[in-house]
Amino acid sequence: MAEEKDIIISEALKDLVTERLDLLSPELVISIGSSGTFTKSELIDHVKKGDEVGKTIVKMELNFLMALKDGTLLEELISDKNDN
Amino acid sequence: MDKTVLITRPEYDAPTLYLSKWSEKIIDEAKAKGIKVIDLHRDKANKKRVVGTLEKTNTKLVIFNGHGSDIAVYGQDNEAILETSDAKAVKDKIIYARACRAAGVLGNNSIASGAISFLGYTEDFIFFRNRNDESQPLKDKTAEQFLEPSNYIAISLLKGHTTGEANNRSKNLFRKNIEKLIVAGPISSDYQTIRGILWDMRNQVCLGNQNALL
Repeated sequence: MAEEKDIIISEALKDLVTERLDLLSPELVISIGSSGTFTKSELIDHVKKGDEVGKTIVKMELNFLMALKDGTLLEELISDKNDN
Repeated sequence: MDKTVLITRPEYDAPTLYLSKWSEKIIDEAKAKGIKVIDLHRDKANKKRVVGTLEKTNTKLVIFNGHGSDIAVYGQDNEAILETSDAKAVKDKIIYARACRAAGVLGNNSIASGAISFLGYTEDFIFFRNRNDESQPLKDKTAEQFLEPSNYIAISLLKGHTTGEANNRSKNLFRKNIEKLIVAGPISSDYQTIRGILWDMRNQVCLGNQNALL
């Protein structure tokens, strides 16, 4: 886990993620385990700093963007739903 | 033999308050099914009580709520209440840890130590919530997108589904929530939470026996 978080965030990636975070509704906050609870502006600050919280947010954003790009989000949405 | 479920509900900050309140739905479901519930709420969610109860009772299903790490889950005031050294406590248990990263080292170690199944998250369990609803977590429709699907692992097990089915059914609820938000589009104030729902769904795993039943 520690190794995974040792990602280097480029300035371009920080810009991309902060632009997308800026779309968050101001009434929303996000709880990230024991790291705490963060507002939109606090998330943006963490991403700009590139600290552990910022890295988690970047990983989450990349996970989503890659799922959109490679089509796996769509695949997952249409995968087996018959269990319910 | 009567079925018993043990659930921990520390409650000392906003995230643990939310998990604790949403866990009331799990407790209600268990009671409705006639299943005995050992509810370790607030100060009762401590190491001595958890490990002692697990080692001395025939509790089969254990549900942890709270903060977590690769190597532990935590109870009231962040006390580690289950660690990799607690082999005897996890033996023959089905464990669900709604806690960050507990399905990493702790989960695999628990399976190696004799736990039947370990359900949880390999990364941080995150959830968005609406700051206007902080005093009434169960009415928070934003948090519901995360906590209802994650609740469903436990609910599904209580309903008699296998561990693997419980994981899949829970993931299906995450999927449905993503679908609803995609259909609603960016006009929805929760639209941007899709990234978090997908994150939790993808990091939710079932280790060990996929066919175990409560």
